[in-house]
Amino acid sequence: MGAVLDARGLRKRFKDVQAVDGVDLVVHAGERVGLLGPNGAGKTTTLLMLLGAITPDEGDIEIMGHRLPKGRSKAMEEVGFVAGYLPLPDRLRVREALGVFAGFYGLDRAQADDAIDRGLARFRITKLGDRMCMELSSGQRTLVGIVKSSLHQPHLLVLDEPTASLDPDVAMRVRAGLLDICANEGTALLVTSHNMLEVERMCERVVFIAGGRIVADGTPNDVAAMFGHGDLESVFLQLAGNDMDLDEL
Amino acid sequence: MSWLRIKTVVRRHWYVLWRSPNRWFDIAVWPVFDVLLFGSLGAFVAQENTASRAAAPYLLAGIMLFHVLFQCQIAVTTGFMEETWSRNLLNIMTTPITEIEYAAGLALYAGMKLVMAMVTISVVALVTYQFHLDSIGWGLVPIVGILLMVGWAISLFVIGLILRFGQSAEILAWGINFVMLALSGVFNPVTALPGAVQPVAKLFPTTYAFRAMRQLLDGGSIPWSDVAWGYVGAVVFCALGYWFIVRMLSTFRARGYVTRFS
Repeated sequence: MGAVLDARGLRKRFKDVQAVDGVDLVVHAGERVGLLGPNGAGKTTTLLMLLGAITPDEGDIEIMGHRLPKGRSKAMEEVGFVAGYLPLPDRLRVREALGVFAGFYGLDRAQADDAIDRGLARFRITKLGDRMCMELSSGQRTLVGIVKSSLHQPHLLVLDEPTASLDPDVAMRVRAGLLDICANEGTALLVTSHNMLEVERMCERVVFIAGGRIVADGTPNDVAAMFGHGDLESVFLQLAGNDMDLDEL
Repeated sequence: MSWLRIKTVVRRHWYVLWRSPNRWFDIAVWPVFDVLLFGSLGAFVAQENTASRAAAPYLLAGIMLFHVLFQCQIAVTTGFMEETWSRNLLNIMTTPITEIEYAAGLALYAGMKLVMAMVTISVVALVTYQFHLDSIGWGLVPIVGILLMVGWAISLFVIGLILRFGQSAEILAWGINFVMLALSGVFNPVTALPGAVQPVAKLFPTTYAFRAMRQLLDGGSIPWSDVAWGYVGAVVFCALGYWFIVRMLSTFRARGYVTRFS
């Protein structure tokens, strides 16, 4: 399996805070990787550096052989990004917004229409096509956001907390849709989440980050065992400095 | 450079314009009131003093040509600000579109808005004061070129400030036009400005464009030296605007300011 993402020695400092401190991250084709860690661990900064939105102080990033920042445009042709906290252009209808992003990804009108129909059908949200983006619920917005990020059949999907604040049934549809994309299109997944159970279900590999450094990397079971726990939730609590016995809550 | 992505930027902003009545004020309301204000001032001055009959054409042509700069600048700047208002900046930055393609798309969109605004303003000036810009003749073409370039340059400068200082810098999108209006000799020669301000006014390429406009209105031939100085200044302004926005984008990415807009 070739690497779709190869990041080495990433460092980023904001004033007195060392947000990311020597992160190496390689994601292979078709691999599903969870990037986990407590608030302020450096997950989002890492993702934004991988996407070219933040310049690292040090380090090298390559996506499908395109090196950032010079090859950013080519690299982004291979990547789809969605974040639970990001809205869509609010004065556009869903189909219009998706058409605009399809254009940015280089799809002509016919290709775009086909990709939009396919994406909306995959998540069973075809009826949302004519709704205004500003009228969508957060769950619907996330589903449309994932359709947006997968229009161009990218090799890598990057998702920042895609199921945050979603109802369990909607979160399940999101997971099912993502797994369907990975299975059918061979897309690799790099996802951050605070829902450890979700990560255990979706990802075959987890990378724990704390204080800007990678502290564990392996399968969910291996990482939990590495910290002497039976699940990722306990690892998370330990790393958050909150290693309390759940029975005490 | 992808023509498809440039067209897509235009399409994205066209949707917003179509659905936002407030955006039509720039192209269909303010131009009307500007013509009424400056046209009536010119008519009043001419009534009071028959020797001042040239006032109305000076004022009307001045405000109409100033709209070339204003429309061009405001369309590009508010186009970018739309992405910050709808928190769409990160969505765009994570697609393959390049900064140049995005800016080119906005400039094209600004050109379309400019045409609409100029049609409005020309019709109103013709109907209300029987004034039409083509009385200036073909000399209008190079003057418009200077104003377009300066409008784009100013928008790059304002967008750079928004990238660097956040939404608090948005006020400049409108405010900077008052500076240009006052210091460019839009309605009067810069010799009418206070002496201390005149050297500053002479640094603006727009000053030469409006001086050329007045000479043409007076029936003179195209003042090529003014036009040439205007273009030299406009090229310098564009180069400075480009340099500034590249610097600000670099700072924007280095300091992670994208999170301000997401």
